[in-house]
Amino acid sequence: MALKIRQLNEYLWEIPKEGGMRVPARIYATKRMMDDIRSDNAPQQAANVAHLPGIVKASLAMPDIHWGYGFPIGGVAAFDLDEGVISPGGVGYDVNCGVRLMASELRREDVAPRAKALIEELFRRVPTGVGVGGAVKVDEKTLRKVAVEGAHWAVKAGYGTEEDLGFIEEGGRIEGADPGAISDRAWERGRTQLGTLGSGNHFLEVDYVAEVYDEEAARVLGLFPGQVVVIIHTGSRGFGYQTCDDYLAVMDRAMQRYNITLPDRQLACAPLRSSEGKAYLGAMRCAVNFAFANRQIIAHNTRLAFAEALGLKPGAAGLRTVYEVAHNIAKIEEHEVDGQRLRVCVHRKGATRAFGPGMTEVPARYRAVGQPVLIPGDMGRYSYVLIGTETAMHETFGSTCHGAGRRMSRRQAKKAARGRNVALELEREGIFVRGASLRTIDEEIPEAYKDVADVVDTCALAGISKKVAQLRPIGCIKG
Amino acid sequence: METASPNWFREIDHTGDIGIEVEAPDLDTLFARAARGMFAMLTDLACVRPGRSRRVQVEAPDRDALMVRWLSELNYLHLTEGWLFCRFDVEERTDRHLTATVHGETFDPARHTIYTEIKAVTFHGLTIRRENDRWIARVIFDM
Repeated sequence: MALKIRQLNEYLWEIPKEGGMRVPARIYATKRMMDDIRSDNAPQQAANVAHLPGIVKASLAMPDIHWGYGFPIGGVAAFDLDEGVISPGGVGYDVNCGVRLMASELRREDVAPRAKALIEELFRRVPTGVGVGGAVKVDEKTLRKVAVEGAHWAVKAGYGTEEDLGFIEEGGRIEGADPGAISDRAWERGRTQLGTLGSGNHFLEVDYVAEVYDEEAARVLGLFPGQVVVIIHTGSRGFGYQTCDDYLAVMDRAMQRYNITLPDRQLACAPLRSSEGKAYLGAMRCAVNFAFANRQIIAHNTRLAFAEALGLKPGAAGLRTVYEVAHNIAKIEEHEVDGQRLRVCVHRKGATRAFGPGMTEVPARYRAVGQPVLIPGDMGRYSYVLIGTETAMHETFGSTCHGAGRRMSRRQAKKAARGRNVALELEREGIFVRGASLRTIDEEIPEAYKDVADVVDTCALAGISKKVAQLRPIGCIKG
Repeated sequence: METASPNWFREIDHTGDIGIEVEAPDLDTLFARAARGMFAMLTDLACVRPGRSRRVQVEAPDRDALMVRWLSELNYLHLTEGWLFCRFDVEERTDRHLTATVHGETFDPARHTIYTEIKAVTFHGLTIRRENDRWIARVIFDM
């Protein structure tokens, strides 16, 4: 059956509630983007999410919506704590995949002459790629602490500073983690992976601030034109993947017990109040904390690499954590729903929290302008720094997009890269790229991704976030 | 021993991820070929020697879930113990249970290249179907 999609305004589309849908599905996109979005199954997936018990307001999709597992990537959905469910497919395999932005006191011209050496040093210090052992190896007892304390464990262990913690979503540690809900397999997969970037689309990029759109917000965030910054994009590695996998099986069984029937098995879920739901929440929060610790260790090693490659005293580069956001997470938050304040479980899968000005969850330093939002693009073009808005609080449970989204499959990308030296092409443009393999770089060629500017402009047009600055790459390490 | 052949193996394009479609005359061979197809995504199987073996047993509530569990088990052994398997002898199989002896060796950086990491074997778009006298399975991996 063809999906009915109607245009509500210039940037918002709706799939009206019908059949087993409990609420409508709404997609943020311009008409041009919508043509692309319609070409895959993502709108159907947004409609499928609307079938889940206890969903409130609408199943939402951000402009970077694309085909995911169960939930679309770019999906946001909130559930009533009493009537609602929690779904591992609404968080994703890479629990708390996210992005940290660090800002230096260096200018582009300070780094440019040593850019290649810097990228090499980052590649040496930050374990990258498949099957590469960790920067930090820990036993299960220590890993249990990591799962509860997150980035706080890393700082206590000497990776980074207390100051970093104040600029991470949830302060770098989400409460309610339950190590008892984690499988032996997840501990095993996580043991050697702390401090590693991983593979796929994960990366560490050195950028400079190319353009500032909102001078006041940039000033508050401490960003200025020409400034060198770093983006770290990675998550909870095998620890999180295994946790998701374990609980998909648990939820698959639980669905029968709770008489939940859904259009897609990958949406498997359990009531938030059920033993399975609570166990998943406790386990997912362990993976959230693992990812916070992982990025904290990488941030520390990034500082060491800057000092080493640029011949600076430790700390002289001034690499300060501007902010760190989660992309794949489920969190209990309070939002306004139909005129009432309601505590809900917000699933953000390939979507970023974008809390507006005045919210207590936003670090005091940024509270007047709103929460920083970091939107990585591809390694050849640009990335964006945004801030959250009041409109996002009203419309999207304080959420916005998370990235560009791929437009080519990995195989198509490899085909497009065939016979080319992508690293050399980028180097000619002054962008140094180091990948675990040539294949990785080929799979991640810039044209494999949609133009992130389209995604960001749509969010700005819809008012669910505001543009602060554009970043352009100097160099990148790829997993 | 099964060998990779364009007759029974196809890579499926999926934005962001990779899937495989395999064909076989019977279900035992289908499970074996799905495993071989998955390892062909991970490495060059021509470089993997079937020198060591290991028994694998998996249980699941139904046939689709059995395929996911079987491939997940092999991926887990690859990720945690460095196994690269190239031969899969399915010995006992119902829709809810599978026992196999799998053959291969552990990762040797001097001889093996690992192309990618499979985060998980998914239910997304998973199908196991019969067409005339052939069995066909489609599996998508989260990369």
